Amino acid sequence: MKPKYVLFILIAVLGCAFTSCKDYLDIPPKNIIQDKDVFSGTKGMMLYLSRMYSQMPFEDFKYSPQRQFFDDWLVTPGTSEGSSIGRDAGAAMVNEGSQRNNEYWGRAFALLRDANYLLENLPTYKANFSDAEYNDFIGEGYFARAMVFYALAKRYGGMPLVTSVLKYPENPAAELEVPRATEEETWDQVLADFNKAIENLPETSPVRGYANKYVALGFKSEAMLFAGCVAKYNKITGFGQKTKVRVIGFDPNKAAAASKKYFEEAYNAASEIMKSGKYSLYKQKWAANDKEAQYQNMVDMWFDLSSPENIYIKEYKYPDLAHGYDAYNIPRQLMGGNGYSAGNCPVLDFVELFDGFAKNPDGTIKVLDANGKYLLFDKVTDIFANAEPRLRAYVILPGDVFKGQEIEIRRGIYTGSAAGGIAPLRTVNGITDYGLSGASNYNQVDAYLAKGAFAGKKSLFLSTNSTNHETVKLPDGTVMNAGGKSGPFTADRTAAYTGFTVRKWLNPNMPQADVLEGQSEQPFILMRYAEILLNAAEAGAELIAAGESSLDGDDLQAIAFNAIKDIRERAGADPLTGPATIPVIRRERRKELAFEHKVLWDIRRWRTQHSDMLNGSTQQDGAYYRGLYPFYSSVTGKYFFDAGFEESRTRFRMTEQEYYFAIPAGEVSKSPAIDQQPGR
Amino acid sequence: MKNHLILISFLFITLYSCKVDNYDLPGETLRGRVVDAATGEPVLTDQGSEGTRVRMRELSWKEAAPENLDIFCMKEGIFQNTKVFRGYYNIRVDGAFIPLVRLNADGDTLADESQNVEIKGVTTVEFKVQPFLKLEWVGTPTVKDGKVTATVKVTRAVSPADFKAKIEPMGGYSDDMLNVTDVRLFVSEVPFVGYREWDNRYSTIIEYPGDAFEPLLGKPVTITTQGVIPAGRTVFIRAAARINYATENIKRHNYNEALRVDIP
Repeated sequence: MKPKYVLFILIAVLGCAFTSCKDYLDIPPKNIIQDKDVFSGTKGMMLYLSRMYSQMPFEDFKYSPQRQFFDDWLVTPGTSEGSSIGRDAGAAMVNEGSQRNNEYWGRAFALLRDANYLLENLPTYKANFSDAEYNDFIGEGYFARAMVFYALAKRYGGMPLVTSVLKYPENPAAELEVPRATEEETWDQVLADFNKAIENLPETSPVRGYANKYVALGFKSEAMLFAGCVAKYNKITGFGQKTKVRVIGFDPNKAAAASKKYFEEAYNAASEIMKSGKYSLYKQKWAANDKEAQYQNMVDMWFDLSSPENIYIKEYKYPDLAHGYDAYNIPRQLMGGNGYSAGNCPVLDFVELFDGFAKNPDGTIKVLDANGKYLLFDKVTDIFANAEPRLRAYVILPGDVFKGQEIEIRRGIYTGSAAGGIAPLRTVNGITDYGLSGASNYNQVDAYLAKGAFAGKKSLFLSTNSTNHETVKLPDGTVMNAGGKSGPFTADRTAAYTGFTVRKWLNPNMPQADVLEGQSEQPFILMRYAEILLNAAEAGAELIAAGESSLDGDDLQAIAFNAIKDIRERAGADPLTGPATIPVIRRERRKELAFEHKVLWDIRRWRTQHSDMLNGSTQQDGAYYRGLYPFYSSVTGKYFFDAGFEESRTRFRMTEQEYYFAIPAGEVSKSPAIDQQPGR
Repeated sequence: MKNHLILISFLFITLYSCKVDNYDLPGETLRGRVVDAATGEPVLTDQGSEGTRVRMRELSWKEAAPENLDIFCMKEGIFQNTKVFRGYYNIRVDGAFIPLVRLNADGDTLADESQNVEIKGVTTVEFKVQPFLKLEWVGTPTVKDGKVTATVKVTRAVSPADFKAKIEPMGGYSDDMLNVTDVRLFVSEVPFVGYREWDNRYSTIIEYPGDAFEPLLGKPVTITTQGVIPAGRTVFIRAAARINYATENIKRHNYNEALRVDIP
């Protein structure tokens, strides 16, 4: 044997002999931060909390039902809640993350572990902190856990209540399986965690962006309202196949009592915020009987960081943490360089919730006179001239001014005679039909195709997109494009294709060149005082329905009435006359909180999404929204409006079962404990 | 030396390759029918998740909790799956009929009429169920001005007493569950017309609040389609009705057979 090989063997044998561990070799790796460093003081904890906050399930400018959390692409709040529709997001929410990121389930447990780890290990290092700091950090742990369980419960019902750190690989995986609890136990856990957070968090946030007692109270009132409504209105229930646990829905024998308990908790949490006197509705520019001031007030409130209405906001900063709301939702004529626009086209059904314009007895907008002919308006803005200021602050109506420009929304030009009035346009072969079997696009109607009463005389001119206009020579000789600069265009559906575009959240001072993806930095208001008032009113009204008229000496009816009265007054809406009943409160909520990812969940917790009648159908059978289309009558020089199903005919459909999202199939098949939703 | 390395790496590759998959393609067939226990007639249904669902769970596979293999009945109330692994299965069907598996409010089993069968070759099963409603055409549909008018008779296929006896122990019972909530005349251009395949421009839904339909049970109900179906088209129509009771969390319809109607 060559000496070289002997040496090799020798080294190998020696190497084997010395592999046994020695304590002095067991040193922690220097590139990994240890508990004792993180929990060493405030600086370490701020790092820990930063990681937790970056995973918080906040529904903000980075949330959409299609793409779930932490994804700022095409965020168009309003499009699944019934306030608006958009090209990229116009359907009922039946699952989440379908276009990217998948279900929230997978992400939730990472933050849950961080929260549990903090709650379990921080007490060991208590000596490193002042009492106030220590309580704050413990409160943050409970707040994060409450937010995770709340986010999960409203999506899936009963959840595996993991309230301690599961140690793997110290324990075999099989022993760490936690089955889903009942839905009632899950909401009780949400309640308990919020209560712990409220107990420990300070009155004001120690660091900008951190939670505080009132933030936790706000989310508690929202979560408990959700729980109370599920206990009261939900009809979907059943037992897990593997565990025989009632993983969704409430035991019918316990539901009524549970619902009342949750409504009381919701009311008390909201009431505590109201009684603290720390917050109020934003009325900086507001003036009584001055619609212009009331409108400007509600435009400014989204951008004023000092607003007394803001309880909790999520801030953004360009370029580190920016979003693209302006780019995705800007009116077409102010579009930025990357070609997105008008992702939020408010539907007429939403606009009709507001006050200040003529309506028919059934609540729909009045566009026809007593003879069934169009009402003619001198200016395109006249129909909404006295509209509720809040509507104008939320929605850009045809002809409204934004960034110094008149937003031109015009579907087409009608060149026919106006003698004896103009008859409804949606007439095909002489049959006027505004139902589902009628014309879905104005290019199918007689006036456009020169058929029927218009035989041989084309009287309607349209534009399919912003570059392909039909034109009309007006009596004064000027040539006018058929469609407006901001649409509606049916070909690409990124231009006010319901006749409206959104104004809420849009930055009125952003130069057009900057309206690009990832350039916006206005904050998202996650919790504001108006919601607290609405939560108190709704919980109060639900308690009245359950037989309570007062709680801790509060007159629930009076509280609800004043809450709605104040919100309507600030909004410039018609004053509240009758009592604040549940339908009145819900309607107010749908108006006030539109485009805030709140109504999305409201219609789900009310369990009305599948069953509410919408233009003759319910969503469980498939339902459609309506639009309002302005036309210019070239003969008279006046405008008229056609109200009917929106032209894209986007079908909203969801079944009652889909109030609970399906558990990701992979999670169910790989686990001996995790149950799929009963019935699925 | 280089050649040796190549050789060695080849050896590794061959050594790491998997052995031959020891499973044959699934080739067994499950076939079955869902029939009315009282009359022996097939229970007609929609083709889709709101119709009759057949759920197979393989019990012979012991290494994990059985997974649900769901298929849906054809509109005639029959089903077939020709790609089943040989094995021992639990099979249940859920549709617009009294649930075969009934649990009480604590999740305990009250009754389990599901079937455990060995699926081998062509295995045929039959489920005898008690449908909620029975729908029958009365006369022949007529067509006028692009609208189809059809008459349908809706009767109960399970008596209210029998329904109550079986559903009440499951908890949360109310007599309102027996109310017929809606009768529909579905229209489609394909024969597979039903809840998942209907043309909402023409189909008609009549909703009945509370027990308003009670006096109409057993009486002919005439329904006309909506809108105007263009001349020259062929459509298929089907009537459906349901009661205010959900099986597996879905309120499912009972159906009659689809009819072809030519629009002159």
